[in-house]
Amino acid sequence: MSMPAALTDQDEVFQAENAAKRKRLSRVFYGVCVSIAMLSIVVLVVLLLSISWQGKTRLSSDLLRNAHSELEIEKAGMSPAIIGSLCICGVCAFAALPLGVGTAIFLEEFQPTSKPLRWLHGFVQLNIANLAGVPSIVYGLLGLSVFVFMFNVFGRIQVNESSGLELTGVTHFYQLLSLESGQTVLVPRTDLQQKTIKLESPTAGFSPSGAPIQIGIWEPGTPKPTDVNVRRRTVRKGALGGAYSKHAWYYFRLPFGQSFLAAGLTLALVILPIIIISSQEALRSVSPSLREASLGLGATRWQTARNVTLPAAMPGIMTGSILAMGRAIGEAAPILVVLGAAVAKNSGPQHLMDSVVTMPVLIFNWAGRQQHEFKELAAAAIIILLIVLLVLNSIAIFIRQKMQQPG
Amino acid sequence: MSIPKALQDRKFRSTSTGRLWEKLLVGLLAGCAVVTILITVGIIAMLVTQSWGFFASDAVTLEGFFWGKEWTALQSKDLDKARFGIGPLVSGTLRVTVIAMMIALPLGLVTAIYLSEFASSRIRNFLKPTLEVIAGIPTVVLGYFAILVISPSLQFLSGGELFDTFNATSAGIAVGILCLPMVCSLSEDAMRAVPRELREGAYGLGCTPFECSVKVVVPAALSGIISAFLLAFSRAVGETMVVALAAGTLPTFSADPTQQAQTMTGFIVEMIKSENEYGTVQYFSLYGVAITLFVITFAMTLAGQLIRRRFKESYA
Repeated sequence: MSMPAALTDQDEVFQAENAAKRKRLSRVFYGVCVSIAMLSIVVLVVLLLSISWQGKTRLSSDLLRNAHSELEIEKAGMSPAIIGSLCICGVCAFAALPLGVGTAIFLEEFQPTSKPLRWLHGFVQLNIANLAGVPSIVYGLLGLSVFVFMFNVFGRIQVNESSGLELTGVTHFYQLLSLESGQTVLVPRTDLQQKTIKLESPTAGFSPSGAPIQIGIWEPGTPKPTDVNVRRRTVRKGALGGAYSKHAWYYFRLPFGQSFLAAGLTLALVILPIIIISSQEALRSVSPSLREASLGLGATRWQTARNVTLPAAMPGIMTGSILAMGRAIGEAAPILVVLGAAVAKNSGPQHLMDSVVTMPVLIFNWAGRQQHEFKELAAAAIIILLIVLLVLNSIAIFIRQKMQQPG
Repeated sequence: MSIPKALQDRKFRSTSTGRLWEKLLVGLLAGCAVVTILITVGIIAMLVTQSWGFFASDAVTLEGFFWGKEWTALQSKDLDKARFGIGPLVSGTLRVTVIAMMIALPLGLVTAIYLSEFASSRIRNFLKPTLEVIAGIPTVVLGYFAILVISPSLQFLSGGELFDTFNATSAGIAVGILCLPMVCSLSEDAMRAVPRELREGAYGLGCTPFECSVKVVVPAALSGIISAFLLAFSRAVGETMVVALAAGTLPTFSADPTQQAQTMTGFIVEMIKSENEYGTVQYFSLYGVAITLFVITFAMTLAGQLIRRRFKESYA
């Protein structure tokens, strides 16, 4: 058999040179590939080293115990932020996991057969892919409208005022100064329109700790009671009392206002597409023969999903969900929009409607300041955040390894 | 043949409550799916109604909004002096995004080629988790990295005064690092879906590995790669914390990457941080910016998804 003319026309020297050139090019390309691929490792190493170098001096127990402080920068810490991040993530997981896994089961296990339903199915699928691409700050604005203000249906939340629709967990009082300096007594408040009262006659009330007491009245001009316990529950005649509310931990109102509940639900919207997509992948990877066997035994589709597919897909779903939670912990923009940029908070949330600080928002605040001390603090806080993420990711990897073993 | 005794005295028929239960559960699951559509509807409704307060104001004209070259919503409290032309914010976003893409696209693509064509399984097992870790780094951390390392290095390399402390380049580089794993993993998926026969054919015809990957595999996976590019672009446009930290707060209408460059997302964050009162036109301008941002990213993502579905080469 003879070679094609196009190949025999060229002389051997040219061919050999050409081949050598092409091989050289290929080797150069391979070198470029290796070096660029290693570049990402270099970037990661530089990032970790520079941040730990910057933050190493501030990694102390103060960081974990104290709160943010403008004045005592050397003692400032991030303990409310850690608690806040965990609370928000809890709410987020509580809302996003059932919703996301439910959607994934519906999309994977109940594939419709009729044409319009299939179209709808495809539309939902495309919609989820699009939601995954929406910038997180837009979700923040959505959360601001939906959860924080609830479209202003229930009125606006005003500072230091009970407003909105309070459902449970709150008792309203008037607070009055007693004769003992620094001590107060509480008088129950029934009319919410009336902001202050003037106390003229003895009445039943409560001590600050909530014990019922009889509030006595002291007429100016008469001798003051001397006993401390009596002085504690006695007020001057005509004393003015201001509005004061006590919130139990289950305090609940609509709209949610700038509360960690609102922030957690907003974050749930952000990670919902991620959970759906990863759960779908996990469900899809379950062998169809399992599903068919279950259906063949007479199980309904839901029974199949509940007893066969879901347990088989569980490791994948859990891995995906944990990674999504990692994303939620590190997310700052939507929380910044929902809760505002304030970081002055001394403790974690006191009740469901309480505002919190989260780690990324605190880092953003510290990193944006000019003082060198705050930059170091930011680096130290980043180290803590990365450690939390590392723990989460290790759990995910562990689950994946553990559950993937056959048997 | 008779049924086993244990089964004989049981009725194997779905009870009506069982059927009802099944219907209820399916309805519940369908409800979950409907929520995802409601979210999209909610986002669009929220953006349209809220930005209405901005676009309906006398101080704003649509023409001025899209073609104006000055944006002073934050600087001027006085509505008469405020200028609402989104040009500077778009130019800031574009500068950051273009720089990010100049980093993420080539590097991500080459890394993807390396991972799918050349890397041994040992290197893969090492490199893939590294990329996953980079993908999992919170964006606020990358923003801090930009002001801590990238910006000073740029100033050092350029010999001093050329770069501002906050500049579009350092933010762009950090956003590029952020997008790189995404470009890489999406394009790698596309390339791995190319069947082996194509590669074997190319090698059989005498291709070098370079020619095989660049002239055969990459074109075969092109739709997946383009969709990865579009998704990364949309991610870069919507990226918030990096630009809020590293790109500066001054809206500038120019193409100079050494200057400060407030982006659309950066402006939204600054407006939220500022003490501007709810209800002013200046406050509502953030929704005008947000709807622009949403339209851009939504179009990009939609195009990316559609390209991936429509032009998916199937080799089955």
